[in-house]
Amino acid sequence: MGKISLLLGALAAACLFSLAAGPAGLAPDIIWNLRLPRTLAALAVGAGLGLAGAMFQGVLKNPLADPYILGTSAGATAAAVLCFLAGVERSSPVFFLAVFAGAFGATFLSYWLARLAGRLSDAALVLAGVAVSAFLSALVMLALTAARERSFSLFYFVLGGLYSAEPGVLAASALIIAVCGGLALARWRALDAMALGAEGAYHLGVRPERERALFFVFASAATSAAVALGGTIGFVGLMTPHIVRLLTGPSARTLLPAAALGGAALLTAADAAGRTLFSPAEIPAGVVMALAGAPFFMWLLWRSARGRA
Amino acid sequence: MPALKVSGLTFSYGAAPLIDGLSFELRPGDFMCVLGPNGCGKSTLLRLLTGWQHAASGSVRLGGEEVAAMQPARLARLAAYVASETATPYDFSVRDTVLLGRTARAGLWRGYSAADGEAADLALRETGIAGLAGRSINTLSTGERQLAFIAQALAQEARLLLLDEPTSHLDLKYKAEIMGLLARLAGRGLAVAAVLHEPGLARLGCNKALLLRRAGGYAFGPASELVTAAALATVYGLPSDSPLLP
Repeated sequence: MGKISLLLGALAAACLFSLAAGPAGLAPDIIWNLRLPRTLAALAVGAGLGLAGAMFQGVLKNPLADPYILGTSAGATAAAVLCFLAGVERSSPVFFLAVFAGAFGATFLSYWLARLAGRLSDAALVLAGVAVSAFLSALVMLALTAARERSFSLFYFVLGGLYSAEPGVLAASALIIAVCGGLALARWRALDAMALGAEGAYHLGVRPERERALFFVFASAATSAAVALGGTIGFVGLMTPHIVRLLTGPSARTLLPAAALGGAALLTAADAAGRTLFSPAEIPAGVVMALAGAPFFMWLLWRSARGRA
Repeated sequence: MPALKVSGLTFSYGAAPLIDGLSFELRPGDFMCVLGPNGCGKSTLLRLLTGWQHAASGSVRLGGEEVAAMQPARLARLAAYVASETATPYDFSVRDTVLLGRTARAGLWRGYSAADGEAADLALRETGIAGLAGRSINTLSTGERQLAFIAQALAQEARLLLLDEPTSHLDLKYKAEIMGLLARLAGRGLAVAAVLHEPGLARLGCNKALLLRRAGGYAFGPASELVTAAALATVYGLPSDSPLLP
């Protein structure tokens, strides 16, 4: 119980930090009209990415998995940028469907490429994800260049930032993330069984192909909703499950809710830090997360290499 | 009714059959060892029995039901399988690992019931690792870990227990302990089949033996007749006076 209050305390502190941080001080209309929507967006995006990371790490039995590394985020971003260039309204169902299709397609492609290499190893999945992400990022740059795009908002979308949270997009994304979290939590037992690998899960009475497909859909949908709202933000999905597992243990029954709370707290704090550190200049939340997350990823790699030796 | 009935089972990875027309049956209380040289299909056989791999032809029946037509959840209630090695990167406690054996008996979303907890605790006591219940599965020795996964299989409350090399990498004390445990389980009515690397271990309680040769040949019968120097010498291709034979 104390551990859950620790998590809730961190979340409350991050929210207060985010509401108070910024060059304009504590003017009520700034807090109400600018920082509150932005804080809500950070909470939703962080929760979605934290949930997606916990799902991927469990269902793939891979502690290096997360929506950024698997290419899920890159797929969603590529689809979103194409939609912007095609003039699709950001709050329309078509936009959300396209972004989900991009996220799921890229995830499946990484998984399929890694499986081609033979037995699904942790490293093969990361390599496949890197390849898919790099290709999709290049496609995005190509599309932006070809369209002679000069829009700063699109540039910041690709970098990952929480600037213009339209209420419609915020509500739709939050709803999608909440539904995905609920559906995943309802299958917590299958996710725990998958942590023993596909064959282990099968012998415990779980259908591994079905669970993999379902959790790919839930995690891709949560990621696509997060990307629709905040662009490409990495490492929240990677770091959050590792941090909250120290508090809740590995069982998805407590890990999934904790990953949602923890991801929300982490990204909200990162976004507020980005507004404060070099004020009045703003660092996009995606950049703050990469500064913190990339060393964390290297530490994970180092630890897993040492574990095998 | 036999706990396990295999008839005419045939399987191959390439053109040459690995398992060819294999037939045998196990009754409750039987403890069978599966012996044979590397690459003769011992581990593959266990996976065919659980339906993880599919045979080209033949049938596997558990308590009268065809494995090929069964959902994994039904199968996990009838047969429990202990792999030679199960690894997870996450620090599940020993008790939580054993509770995972209840997956097929509990609804997907709800928590574990009191009955699930009792089954897990009973399995922990039966395997003698109740004192490790709170430890992370990743901090155990190889032998303790093997016992934890046997406890997980026991928590499934299946009538058939299949184990792939349960004693490999273990010291003599754990080898004897695990064979003794399996013999006790057979004694209380489970059907047990274990792939073993060392034929000598079969004398610790096995009443049936299945000897697999390369390219599909096999012999099935009472362990007292098959786990002999003469029969094993043929299967492993050793001289009949080799000191390695029992």
